[in-house]
Amino acid sequence: MKTSNTNILKKLGLSAAAAVLSVSLAMPAFAAQSVNLDQLLQLVRQGEAQDRSENQQRLAEFRANRNQQANLLKQVQSQQAAAEAESNRLNRQFEVNDQEIIDLNQKLDERLGDLKELFGVLQQAAGDTKANFDSSITSPQFPEREAYMADIMTKMGQTSKFASMSEIEQLWAEMMNEMIQSGKVAKFTAPVTLTDGSTQDKTVTRFGTFNVVADGKYLKMSNDRTNYIELPRQPQSRFSSKVGGAESASSGLSPLAVDITRGGILETYTKRPTLIEKVKEGKEVGYVIIGLGIIGVLLAIWRFLALMGTSAAVSRQVKNTDKPGNNPLGRVLKVYKESDDANTETLELRLSEAVLKETPKLNRMLSFLKIIAVVAPLLGLLGTVTGMINTFQAIQLYGTGDPKLMAGGISQALVTTVLGLCVAIPMVFLHSIVASKAKGVSEVITQQAAGMIAERAEQTS
Amino acid sequence: MWACIFERMFYLTSVHPKNVKAAMDHWNAREDHGSWYAHQVRERMISVVSQGLDKRVEIIQTCVALCPLLGLLGTVTGMIEVFSSMSDTGAGSARTMASGVAKATVPTMAGMVAAISGVAVAAYFKRKAAAEREELGEHLELADWEGH
Repeated sequence: MKTSNTNILKKLGLSAAAAVLSVSLAMPAFAAQSVNLDQLLQLVRQGEAQDRSENQQRLAEFRANRNQQANLLKQVQSQQAAAEAESNRLNRQFEVNDQEIIDLNQKLDERLGDLKELFGVLQQAAGDTKANFDSSITSPQFPEREAYMADIMTKMGQTSKFASMSEIEQLWAEMMNEMIQSGKVAKFTAPVTLTDGSTQDKTVTRFGTFNVVADGKYLKMSNDRTNYIELPRQPQSRFSSKVGGAESASSGLSPLAVDITRGGILETYTKRPTLIEKVKEGKEVGYVIIGLGIIGVLLAIWRFLALMGTSAAVSRQVKNTDKPGNNPLGRVLKVYKESDDANTETLELRLSEAVLKETPKLNRMLSFLKIIAVVAPLLGLLGTVTGMINTFQAIQLYGTGDPKLMAGGISQALVTTVLGLCVAIPMVFLHSIVASKAKGVSEVITQQAAGMIAERAEQTS
Repeated sequence: MWACIFERMFYLTSVHPKNVKAAMDHWNAREDHGSWYAHQVRERMISVVSQGLDKRVEIIQTCVALCPLLGLLGTVTGMIEVFSSMSDTGAGSARTMASGVAKATVPTMAGMVAAISGVAVAAYFKRKAAAEREELGEHLELADWEGH
């Protein structure tokens, strides 16, 4: 212990010296501080002497242990021999067992005979039936069927267990039951998950294997086949309105929209956008069009009512030319009244001036209505084109792998065109109605006012 | 539209001649056929009669303009149906899509047919109104007048 310690210390000293030496070699500037070389030599020599003595010590130890080593070797060899013997024995055992397995399998085959084929067919039939049951909406009605099918499938999958006779017969019975149920309208109680997430037990009506309804709403089967889920969105009212009647009917015939794809079509209907959602697909352009449409309709109504009032007043005035009232014709007549003494030329000038004053009031906002009728389809086209550009950009990014993407984009883009036309058509119509009203009134004052005045003048003179 | 057209035909054949006759009687009853007053009265009578002629022609023309628009609306909604069902079912075969598009174009065709049938009639009424107006003007003869 002590010797080794001192040894370590010496070594440390040596290495330190070596380090210092290397430093002094690398930096001759510090040569003055270098360790004395004689001392270093002495240290090296001391180390050599130390190593030599250690080696001799090790040799002595080894010689002492040599006899013991021989004993150990003998022990290990005997162990190896025993293990080899055991291995041989097990090998022989294995061969015997192998043979036995082959014999037993042969026996099993002989005894199974035709049954082997039967089980193959049974397994296939059970697999097919399970697949059928899994997609069939009758599953929540017969919850025990699920467990039985799982059990028989595991049995079929193993070779160690066979299905019993009664189980095999039950499979047949279940298939028969499914067949019978597919032709029945059945009422039963089952858990139904509503659209708000709560689950309640409800009386549901199942129409064959096609549709399940409850409370006048279509349901679908949950993924774990234990309950029904109300569809997040019912199909259009012309389909879903008949459900209630068919549900409450106890006998006879009642109409019902049946989804023959067993829920596939209903599923697509839940993805169809409603009218509001469709309008929202029009985005900003759509809103602008709708805003224009609302403004246009309000303007048209206002102008129409105003012109109705005016034309009624004018026609009253036509019957009574003596008292000019506050309406376009009345104001024209007033001009005549105020210029009694004027000659016909002055009168005509004044009259035409009065008429000129009146006509712009009648034609107010008409051009704006016309503009809306023209601009709305153009805006719709703009929305459609931008939508198309977006669609094609998406295709450029993601490729044409998915036609759904493209078709969906196009149908969204077309919404603005529809909105534009929906606004333009009524606007054209309203414009023409209002314009013809305005034209009628203005014709009365431009072409007939002078005539009335002339007639009156002749009567009075 | 065609209701308006038939109404106009009836008007032209039965009501309008009566109006013309009434106007002519009124004119012939007058002694003065030459003064400024007479001119204005004549103008007014012609205007009243021609107003009756022009009634609803405007509506017919509007219908002519609207028919193709309505047809287009039908087509576009049909197209939306086609494309949204395509996006539901995925890669619909070109055949089903083509048949959908073909069905969707029917309204446009119907609109065009309706419009074309109306165009000729509307133009005829417009011409007729102008001609009748001229004729009435000729019927109501004016005497010379030094004022103009």
